Amino acid sequence: MGPYDSSTSSSAISSSPSSSTSSSSSSSSCAGKSPDQIDGLLAGAGYRVRSSELRHVAQRLEHLETVMVNAPSQISHLGNDVVHHNPSDLGTWVDSLLSDLNPPEYSDLRYDDFGPILDPSTITRAWTEHLIPEQQRIIPQHLSVATEMEEDSSIRLVHVLMTCAECVQGGEFSLACSLIDEMQHLLTRVNVGCGIGKVAGYFVDALSRRLFTPQGVALVGSTIENEILYNHFYEASPYLKFAHFTANQAILEGFDGHDCVHVIDFNLMHGLQWPALIQALALRPGGPPVLRLTGIGPPSPDGRDSLREIGVRLTELARSVNVRFAFQGVTASRLEDVKPLMLQVDPKEAVAINSIMQLHRLLVSDPTRTSPINNVLDWIRNLNPKIMTVVEQEVDHNQPEFLARFTEALYYYSTMFDSLETCSAQFEKAFAEMYIQKEICNVVCCEGSVRVERHEPLAKWRARLNGAGFKPLHLGSNSFKQASMLLTLFSAEGYCVEENDGCLTLGWHSRPLIAASAWKAVSEPNPSLGLISHPNNVL
Amino acid sequence: MAGSNEIKVNESKKVVPLNTWILISNFKLAYNMLRRPDGTFNRDLAEFLDRKVPPNTVPVDGVFSFDVVDRSTSLLNRIYRPSPSPETAADPQFGIIDLQNPLSTTEIVPVIIFFHGGSFAHSSANSAIYDTFCRRLVSICKAVVVSVNYRRSPENCYPSAYDDGWAALKWVHSRPWLRSGKDSKVFVYLAGDSSGGNIAHHVAHRAAESGVEVLGNILLHPMFGGQDRTESEKKLDGKYFVTIQDRDWYWRAYLPKGEDRDHPACNPFGPRGISLKGLTFPKSLVVVAGLDLVQDWQLAYVEGLKNAGQEVKLLFLKQATIGFYFLPNNDHFYSLMEEINSFVNPNC
Repeated sequence: MGPYDSSTSSSAISSSPSSSTSSSSSSSSCAGKSPDQIDGLLAGAGYRVRSSELRHVAQRLEHLETVMVNAPSQISHLGNDVVHHNPSDLGTWVDSLLSDLNPPEYSDLRYDDFGPILDPSTITRAWTEHLIPEQQRIIPQHLSVATEMEEDSSIRLVHVLMTCAECVQGGEFSLACSLIDEMQHLLTRVNVGCGIGKVAGYFVDALSRRLFTPQGVALVGSTIENEILYNHFYEASPYLKFAHFTANQAILEGFDGHDCVHVIDFNLMHGLQWPALIQALALRPGGPPVLRLTGIGPPSPDGRDSLREIGVRLTELARSVNVRFAFQGVTASRLEDVKPLMLQVDPKEAVAINSIMQLHRLLVSDPTRTSPINNVLDWIRNLNPKIMTVVEQEVDHNQPEFLARFTEALYYYSTMFDSLETCSAQFEKAFAEMYIQKEICNVVCCEGSVRVERHEPLAKWRARLNGAGFKPLHLGSNSFKQASMLLTLFSAEGYCVEENDGCLTLGWHSRPLIAASAWKAVSEPNPSLGLISHPNNVL
Repeated sequence: MAGSNEIKVNESKKVVPLNTWILISNFKLAYNMLRRPDGTFNRDLAEFLDRKVPPNTVPVDGVFSFDVVDRSTSLLNRIYRPSPSPETAADPQFGIIDLQNPLSTTEIVPVIIFFHGGSFAHSSANSAIYDTFCRRLVSICKAVVVSVNYRRSPENCYPSAYDDGWAALKWVHSRPWLRSGKDSKVFVYLAGDSSGGNIAHHVAHRAAESGVEVLGNILLHPMFGGQDRTESEKKLDGKYFVTIQDRDWYWRAYLPKGEDRDHPACNPFGPRGISLKGLTFPKSLVVVAGLDLVQDWQLAYVEGLKNAGQEVKLLFLKQATIGFYFLPNNDHFYSLMEEINSFVNPNC
């Protein structure tokens, strides 16, 4: 037993990596000058926390304390049964404890201290009275019991959020900061495990980031991180599956009668959409066409060619079902960097353009250049695709006024979080929430070219696409049936598919959250763009 | 929520910088998980969560450190020394520890024996927070610091910590390489925060009774208590990271079974206390944090020393919370260091 071991265990000294140089010069001031820096003083104490994340970590610590105070039985669970990960990374350590704990059991709260327990319908009505009339559906439907205190605090939280956003819009930063403090206090009085408490927590966090982090420092993860979160979002909720299903059905119908087909996917990710299409094409009466797939994606780190790797997997799948298949990857950091020549479209093939939540990124408006959307829509139209499938978030997050955007985002994401509560897999749900959190941060914290989540509702896309020379194709009843069937696989009631003038939307309790539509080009393609295709390529 | 359980997070957040708040709240929550209601302690988890650092004989910011074991007691001490400046050292030998020559033959170099805090149960001499603190002490006071890795409760209760402190004192006095000055002796001060302050007092007491020289005591919000509930305990319970409940737990873990908080280890000037009148007790610097719920006991300690005719200086930091000295991001830290510096370097 070494001299540093306790007398009952033989744990070895573990030196924390951040302190291995034993340095902590007393010249480092409290908050790092650059927000991405690790706080030097906490580093001297053996903890790695970024200066920009100090508030967030403090909030999580408070949250953990709330949970521990509310449910003392959980404390021994935390000490004895939970796996603790890397205590130096304070943020992660606290989060892992929190995600391990279930939201506090209501039975642990002392009801007699709080006054009469309200029944859900009262809460619903009380809530809606305070809200803007159109937005009636924030209340988490599964919230069966709430306390008066919580309800008051929840309502107050929403009010303070709005006020704070207004201050941010008006440039009153010191007032906004004190409102943040108040909201963090309020968050200790509500259930932050679900419902408005949880959503509010994310928005308070986003506002904090906006206030304390310089512009341009977005919550950008690595490509790999983003892919992982995307996959969990895919698993935890039906939104992406709906998008893929519906688009595939439309593409299948669009390719009817064609023997050479080419799908261009604006964001390949892990290619989750394509196995189903390949299999559907394999089973096509009359046999499968020759299928080409072009997947566009960002460059991968470490020199890996992840696009190619996915292409290889899809090729093998296609081979196993006897579909003649070819894949090409096109690497581009931004969609607007893609030039049509890179896609190598053959004049004889039928083209399908597939854009799942990508077009809104082209709406970035920057004083230095015009929106890339028109350019891109132009070259798409010139490819004369048989079909273009477009899926977008059904909300207006592209209003110039910050408060309007913030309000929209609050209601939109509340509904989305609400729907996620039905996911029983805690792990998936947590990561799916992180995926959404990144979107929230982009909408709330960023401006200019960094704000890429510029969602616009179907009505606006219709106007835009009609104006750019496209005409809508009605998604047939098959798509509708498929989508409805998909939903029955999700045991949760509350999701609903609706038909909206030829387009399909998926939403939660009559609030549409995601909209799918299909289009084809109207006018003659422009010969001057110099494509290989013949101008009158109409089959 | 009912009174004592109400979380006063906003109070503590208002008085300390954010990173300090995070640090101490983190300790508070982690420690909550480690103390079991039956009086046992989750030592494995405690050791895992404790951020530790190795010694480093390469000077960093002018300070280097190394560990030495006293073979007769297996007690480990971590020594911190200022590195010789390049001009004075004939041959700066990094990595090679001189365990033969005295610290200086002309100047007096104070040797501060430091007992880390942790309410007798937490932390070690190699905990990052204490390693960092000792390094700062060396830099600012130009002293040598010997940090003692005393045995902790509940596995080792009273009087283990005091015995280890006493052993460390004797060990330090007998090291030729800790001597300095023209008289070539070891100029020893005792220091400690929280439980370490309590240890420093009791070791100084034993030293005074045995004729072993200690030049001064530095007690940083020392851990004392008693059966009574004082005003400060009632007023500040749960408000600034500390609760009466956790204090009680740590005393139960340290004091012999069946004993109460008027045991002289806990309450040296209480009903069962031993008088210090007439003893050659070292001069004391007692630092009290104004937001520490134990302050009434600490102030009573200061009174007790005065009544026994002993020299004591009180540094009362009104708006300070416990642990204010872990991060040098507040005025209290600098006041403290200045006081300690003048205390151990009286002629400068």
